[in-house]
Amino acid sequence: MEDIVCTFCGSVCDDGEFDVEKRRVKRFCRLGSSKFAEKERIKAPMVEGKEVSYEEAIDYAVEILVNAKHPLLYGWASTVNEAIRLGVILAEKLGGVYDQCASVCHAPGVLAVIEEGLPGGTLGSIKNRAEVVIFWGANPAEAHPRHGLRYSITAKGLLVKDRKQRKVIVVDVRPTKTAKMADIFVQIKPGYDYAILSALRAIISGNADVVPKEVGGVSKEKLIELAEIMKNAKYGAVLYGLGVSQSRGRDRNVENAIKLIQLLNRTTRWIIWPMRGHYNVVGAGEVPAWEVGYSYAIDFSRGYPRFSPAEFSAVEVLNRKDCDAALIVASDPVAHFPASAVKYLKEIPVIQIDPYPNMTTLVSKVVIPSAVYGIEAEGSTYRMDGIVLRVKKILETNYWTDEKILEEMLKRVEKLKG
Amino acid sequence: MLIIKPKKYFEVCVEAEITPDLALKKVEEVKKFKVFYGNKIVELGELFEISKEGEDKKIVLGGDFSRVKWVGTRMVDGEILVKGSIGTNCGAFMRGGRIIIEKDADDWLGTEMAGGEIIVKGNAKNLVGCAYYGDAVGMSAGKILIEGNAGNYVGDKMSGGEIIIKGNAGDFIGMEMRGGVIEIHGSCGFVGGDMRGGEIRIKGSFEVLPTFKKTEKGWVGDVNVKGEGVVKNF
Amino acid sequence: MLWIKNGVVVDPKNRINAEKMDLFVKDGKIVEESKVKKGDCKVIDASGKLVVAGGIDMHAHIAGGKINTGRVMRPEEMRVVRNIAGKFRATVGRVLLTAPAIGYEYAKMGYTMSFEAATPPITSPHTHEELDAIPIIDKGALPVFGNWHLVFKCIEEKNLEKLKSLIAWTIERSKGFGVKIVNPGGVEAWMYGGNVKGLDEQVPGFAVTPREIITWLMRANEELNLPHSIHLHCNNLGIPGNYQTTIESIKLANGLKNEKRQILHVTHVQFNSYAGNSWRDVASGAAEIAKIVNSMDNVTIDMGQAIFGHATAMTGDAPFQFTLHKLIGARWSNKDTEVETGAGIVPIGYLPSNPVHTLQWAIGLELGLLIESDKVVLTTDYPNGGPFTEYPYVMAMLMSKKMREGELKRVHQYVQKATTLPSIETEKTLYEVIHMTRSLPARVMGLDKKGHLGIGADADIAIYDLNPLTTDFSNEFDRVYKAFKVSEFTIKDGDVVAKKGELVKEVFGKTFWVDASKKVDVEAVIPDVKSYFDFYTVQFSNYGVDERWLKKSKRIEVI
Ligand code: SF4
Ligand SMILES: [Zn+2]
Repeated sequence: MEDIVCTFCGSVCDDGEFDVEKRRVKRFCRLGSSKFAEKERIKAPMVEGKEVSYEEAIDYAVEILVNAKHPLLYGWASTVNEAIRLGVILAEKLGGVYDQCASVCHAPGVLAVIEEGLPGGTLGSIKNRAEVVIFWGANPAEAHPRHGLRYSITAKGLLVKDRKQRKVIVVDVRPTKTAKMADIFVQIKPGYDYAILSALRAIISGNADVVPKEVGGVSKEKLIELAEIMKNAKYGAVLYGLGVSQSRGRDRNVENAIKLIQLLNRTTRWIIWPMRGHYNVVGAGEVPAWEVGYSYAIDFSRGYPRFSPAEFSAVEVLNRKDCDAALIVASDPVAHFPASAVKYLKEIPVIQIDPYPNMTTLVSKVVIPSAVYGIEAEGSTYRMDGIVLRVKKILETNYWTDEKILEEMLKRVEKLKG
Repeated sequence: MLIIKPKKYFEVCVEAEITPDLALKKVEEVKKFKVFYGNKIVELGELFEISKEGEDKKIVLGGDFSRVKWVGTRMVDGEILVKGSIGTNCGAFMRGGRIIIEKDADDWLGTEMAGGEIIVKGNAKNLVGCAYYGDAVGMSAGKILIEGNAGNYVGDKMSGGEIIIKGNAGDFIGMEMRGGVIEIHGSCGFVGGDMRGGEIRIKGSFEVLPTFKKTEKGWVGDVNVKGEGVVKNF
Repeated sequence: MLWIKNGVVVDPKNRINAEKMDLFVKDGKIVEESKVKKGDCKVIDASGKLVVAGGIDMHAHIAGGKINTGRVMRPEEMRVVRNIAGKFRATVGRVLLTAPAIGYEYAKMGYTMSFEAATPPITSPHTHEELDAIPIIDKGALPVFGNWHLVFKCIEEKNLEKLKSLIAWTIERSKGFGVKIVNPGGVEAWMYGGNVKGLDEQVPGFAVTPREIITWLMRANEELNLPHSIHLHCNNLGIPGNYQTTIESIKLANGLKNEKRQILHVTHVQFNSYAGNSWRDVASGAAEIAKIVNSMDNVTIDMGQAIFGHATAMTGDAPFQFTLHKLIGARWSNKDTEVETGAGIVPIGYLPSNPVHTLQWAIGLELGLLIESDKVVLTTDYPNGGPFTEYPYVMAMLMSKKMREGELKRVHQYVQKATTLPSIETEKTLYEVIHMTRSLPARVMGLDKKGHLGIGADADIAIYDLNPLTTDFSNEFDRVYKAFKVSEFTIKDGDVVAKKGELVKEVFGKTFWVDASKKVDVEAVIPDVKSYFDFYTVQFSNYGVDERWLKKSKRIEVI
């Protein structure tokens, strides 16, 4: 099968070729290929370790959720929009909390968008137009292996034809693999992104005189050089990663970077975009935005949505012991959350929906296995730049899809809640 | 004076928009006051012991209120004395009166406060005197005194009033501040990014941003927004 | 089956003006009395009430990347709670609404169809996912063409057949409804920080001009004979002096004729009707625009009325959005979209105390009043001019000089000298206003089963607590406004969905799209399209929307 869509990282490559016999995929990177390889699956629905039918597991799960005072529904970045939509509606009906994986990675970017907006573009505008690409705290060579080839570094565009016509700059706290591919590498002191961005803004707006000799481990000369490159580019792109949004300053860093981009657009064209991680973490924010107005950390306890990252992000909810049950979909918080949050997760009934066993399976009272989107089921997903792609069904399966499981849950919840 | 104490351990957080106005009501009425216990709307009396001593416009919150949110929100006068710690959003949109917290305060203390006084004897967490997401102005008047330490993001977009922190503060203090005063007796991280006006005084150490000019008044900036805010040691 | 008894019907398409009559509904259609068994009918007593077709919003931004980014960017907009979760969905939103809120609010107001006015073809799957999430109303979406390199290429080659094939292919792939053009050439110029300033300025990097883009797309659209004409957002939007560009653009329709509808629809004209040279001496150019529109028989417009209060500017006109951001210093989102187009979003508001805002408010009304009712559709270009929920305000204002006089007193007096609004005596009739909100937009969009109550029409009906026979529209404007705010009954495909402003049933409407792929040789353009896919970031086969993905597809085949 041709033109299949990868469901690993936010690059969402859509040019894979799947060999059904060998169960191998051509053209994808090692991360993408591993996703398509055969792996251990959760065999059957389970309640407290005992195998049950899908219906029984769902009944049991719904019972827990309906009786909870404040259930947490978390995950969503590795499933399709159709399932996410049902998840949002389920959280609404249950009076619980909807939160998604972004809250532990790129959500600070959302807060920055609230402050300043998002002057961005699609990956195709970068591929075709960007003469200068700056990776700031992002290391696509490791995290998004084909990003450079398809969109940003060696990508062959219409107006910027190849690597020779494009300048690649990496700003990071250490020389990453991506830095090795760059024309310029700027090493900064950890925690000084904000200060450096402020300094760049000052230099570009004609206030270089205030800027001290060195900012965050970077000499003023280097900063001036960087500012000149940015000003002189006809079209440039800043692609930022977790190095910006999860280090000291978080949303403030992103906000400052956006202000830099705003400034640059007064004289030339620049865009900024986050290097989103999971294949549909964008959908996990877009879908709730149109359904209920916000993209993450949404509480429905009052019957209507409220947004408050400091209170309703999953980690905050768990740290404050502000939930009494949890539904985890396509995610592994036990492996990724801070110990304090995991500790509380272990104290409450957890329901898991996932194709694969993970650390969270071990603490789950109800485990519901699901089909793998992009291999066994189709659905919509958002690439990191918001472009929608349809992941495909290649192989048959007996597993239910997330969509079907959630639909059944929703039906039962609606019945019980009247 | 109204005395309110939790009856039990709360399985999830409680949202109770209690203001001193309640102290003027009869105990029976107070008991019927609606609060949110997770997704259930319940009566205050179901979760809390309520008693009354005298008629002054004052509420005493005894026991653990660290998971009770929105206490004192929009209050205009009177007093709330919290004997222990308090949950998030305490004193949000407050316009007058006083809140005294004997232990610690959670996030979003005194958000968009426009008058009155909040005293925290212990520590405060993040986002003291800030603006809620999407709003343009943080604290605009009144006073917040924190005797211990405060977390990150203090006085974001603050336009007036005073925040005094006797201990240390975290990072990113007085960002986009336009007016008012933040005084920190200990140390803190970055201060005053994109500050337009107001003053930040710090006794201990802090990190100045590269966009502030050194003058006799102290550091003046932020030049990126043609700001005239002052950051200085005292 | 429904029997709507004794209503006072206004149905301009069928020349019915305030006649007392009964309507019958069966299988979602309006049928003759003889087709129903009266005993089996659910009876709605409409005595003394106004019965009209469901309203049609032919230009709004209700789905897709723009409005959704707007929501994320403006949580303060989402704090207005409209409905608590229960039998129906929780809905929130001040002016920017969630998808369920959009459906509910239209329905409560007696509107039953709305068009998303601009979707880049590549993002059409997103637009359709959001449209599918909007309950009750029917919908459609207009893909944008005016800045797409492939369109430029066809025009540069002067190859009309290829352009026709491209349009047919794109509309089918994007499940779109027609040809939208946003600031032709200007958005491509923006990719390097510029804009185009006039119809004859060359688009940087291409041997085409805005004039050519508009004319070629117009000709292609006519040869394809699509239900809707080209739908133009003119160059120079939001710039003082732009009314001249608008007039020149309107003249481009000269000489072409279509039996059923206009050749050119110019949208949210309020934003393109400014005289003067700067924001200091800006004035209304509405009277000139009205003159030219009235003089032509193949052009229609929609108002783009500004409503005092909050709004969010969101258009495909990316350079304008940046100018706006610079002007008012507000948040700014931008989306350069492959080599197809761009877009931008900026929060705004209209204050009665601000001279420019008041001017905008007045210009919209001038257009609505000065242009013949058969050529001007009522819109706010939601959410650019404000909420669609204030259409009743605009309707009442058009019908009452007295209401306008009252409003003119409370606004900045700049309008007295900068516009003709204070001197306009015209009061549109109810018949005209119903036409401007129902039968006219239906005709403009080429929908013959919509916007009227004739036999065979879709049973999308609104009943208002307003008796046209006894109401004094000049003086009872307050009551008129309130009556149109919430319908007594809104009926969608024969189902009563809202009653007195309360939702009673949630249904999902259809998505209308046009398939003209049989009309031309689509293959003619495929090699060109494919060669461009080297520069796309998605595969050719993964581009677009399949019909089976739509919740309820309504394909309109053009043959
Ligand atoms: S870069 Fe990402 S999307 Fe592309 S193949 Fe690798 S893992 Fe999959
Ligand atoms: Zn529009």
